[in-house]
Amino acid sequence: MSRALAILAIAILSGSLFAQVSPMAPEAAQVPIIEGPRIELTNEHLTIITWTTKNPGGSPVHYGVVHYGTDPNSLIETAKSPIRLNPDHSLTVFRVRLDDLRSQTAYYYTVDSMQATGKSDGVKSSVNRFTTP
Amino acid sequence: MRQARLAALGATCATIAVAMFISAHIVRGQSQSTARSAPAYNPYPTGILPSDLSSEVTRVQREVDLVESRARARWKGLGRPTLIGQPPVLQNAGTEAIETLGELMLYDRNMSPRKNQACASCHMPYAGFSGPIPSVNLTMIAFPGTVHFRAGKRTAQRHPYSPFFPVLQYNQEQGLFFGGNFWDSRATGYRLRIPDAEQAQGPPVDPLEMGFPDTACVAFRLSQAVYRPLFEMVWGEGSFDIKFPPQTARICATPGGASVFGGNTTPVPLGAADRTHANTVYDRWAQSIDSYEQSVQVSAFSSKFDAFLAGKYTLTADEMAGFKLFNGKGNCNSCHLDGRGTTLKSDQADTSSAALVNPLFTCFGSANEGVPLNPGDVFYYQTKPDPYGFIANPYGFGYRDLGLGTFLRSGFGSAPNPNASWRQYAPRVDGQMQVSSVRDVALTPTQCPTTEAPGPYFQKGFFHNGYFKSLKQVVHFYNTRDKYSYPVTSGHCPKGTTEKLDCWPMPEVRNNIDMTSGNLGLTDEEENQIVVFLQTLSDGFTKPYPNRDAYKGACMSGGSAATQGNEFLISTPPLPPCASAICGVAPVPSPPIP
Repeated sequence: MSRALAILAIAILSGSLFAQVSPMAPEAAQVPIIEGPRIELTNEHLTIITWTTKNPGGSPVHYGVVHYGTDPNSLIETAKSPIRLNPDHSLTVFRVRLDDLRSQTAYYYTVDSMQATGKSDGVKSSVNRFTTP
Repeated sequence: MRQARLAALGATCATIAVAMFISAHIVRGQSQSTARSAPAYNPYPTGILPSDLSSEVTRVQREVDLVESRARARWKGLGRPTLIGQPPVLQNAGTEAIETLGELMLYDRNMSPRKNQACASCHMPYAGFSGPIPSVNLTMIAFPGTVHFRAGKRTAQRHPYSPFFPVLQYNQEQGLFFGGNFWDSRATGYRLRIPDAEQAQGPPVDPLEMGFPDTACVAFRLSQAVYRPLFEMVWGEGSFDIKFPPQTARICATPGGASVFGGNTTPVPLGAADRTHANTVYDRWAQSIDSYEQSVQVSAFSSKFDAFLAGKYTLTADEMAGFKLFNGKGNCNSCHLDGRGTTLKSDQADTSSAALVNPLFTCFGSANEGVPLNPGDVFYYQTKPDPYGFIANPYGFGYRDLGLGTFLRSGFGSAPNPNASWRQYAPRVDGQMQVSSVRDVALTPTQCPTTEAPGPYFQKGFFHNGYFKSLKQVVHFYNTRDKYSYPVTSGHCPKGTTEKLDCWPMPEVRNNIDMTSGNLGLTDEEENQIVVFLQTLSDGFTKPYPNRDAYKGACMSGGSAATQGNEFLISTPPLPPCASAICGVAPVPSPPIP
């Protein structure tokens, strides 16, 4: 018992038990959207778009990505927001902030997500529309 | 032309006057060795500095001395361990010897020019080694340093469990930074391989903190310390064989940043060999303090939650509910890893295996939670030169705290980045601060059992800029940041709303805001249960937490945790654009920071 404690103490003192990075879930072959995308909130200064996918796996931090614009054929703006992935969870909620959009304006958007390394999750999204207040 | 000459003459006279003033001051300082003789520096508007600041600083000095005396008694009880073996080891008592040495150093007020500031002056055990003065936590949030009253820019980060953070690394596979110490991770551990040790090398030469002008001053003062024999026992005879020139005492009694040094960061004139020797002593200083902070004296693993993991404590109904929310609906353990899986919905089962070791409740990473700018932060007001000619923050409210991003750029107010390949990632981490362990976040003095109003409570400041004054506010922010967001700065919430209750001012840095939280859908009761769970993470349950009884100040009482400290809210002035020295440094923030 004392030997086990000593080994544990040495390991703790060396920091080796804790010198680790966040656990990673295996990358999913496909990342379908389960719910959304939808407008979580929109006001004169902030719009949040949210959607839920199957857990994409991979890096612990993912980015939700929104391509948007006022022309549905030219979504030239991009917004992205990081979220922390839960490796043991089957679903992942993405939420993306769009700051300071023009008021009373129709916007079109699609969504995607990617790992912190920049690798896309390959999410397929149709073009959606919303109007700011 | 004549005006230019006059200006030059004026500047010369001013420099001479300051130099004469410092010389005279040094003479007084040598004879009195206290902060009483320090010239006052007060560029602050009314309401920034708390009215009891001087008496509270004196109170903490007494407490620091008390703990130092206890450490001295511990040292005397050590005996004299035998150095044997190859490599040589101080058999049986070596561990306690180096931990005690670190403790003696941490509470040594001589480790500052005015002999008025120890590391512990900003990090006392009864506050979980965070800020020990309630009124400072309530108002100016950063603690005064050796020069009264210069002060830093951030809250005093907690020590416990910081030794377990790995060396700062950029993980290519995950595309993330891990490790380091300090809010902005600038203590990377690149050289000593222990970020916590390199953290201990920062404050002694930070002009806003302990304020030595030269790292050699630490070696010089240690050579005069009563515990020098213990240092030599641990690190070897001859450790202090350094030929300090006669003017060393005078130089080391002058605060860093003084104009008399002309920007020289090694004003103690040492030869190359002596400089190397002094540097080695400074490394030993760091390693000794790390030993103390890693010991059970500081990182104790003695909380209710540890007892629960060991099967020796049953969580109450509220504590268990809070635990389930912590790794469920609240999603807290996505960053504050607790060794468990995450169950976001009530019909999901936690199938993760039991943690192999006591979890540290951090992912060792960094995040920008979108905290509003806190106009109470004393740093914004230090725009004028102090009596030593030092200006802490020439940018005033043009300063923005980009955290890890500024460090990667080797930017203003941080430290040089030792790895050029990291710099390219700065825009991806702007605004990010270290994800601290939540262990001991709720630890308070024995007589003030909580951080939460109505108390009796001990007032703390939470997050890097102390904007939050209770854990209830912290949890409520995570829960409703986006739901109650307003395009205003602190102190300007719309009529009919209450700041921190149903109005959250805009983030100081809106780049890279973590969206895992912000609209969690927790009820008021669920928020409270998470706070109750956080309180189970305070050390001192299975055995007394050392020196938690040292607090000799008063508890606070009354009010509500939800609006705790709101009576001290002040209005943020109109913000100038972010200073180019911060937001204009390549690679520049993307999108640009206003």
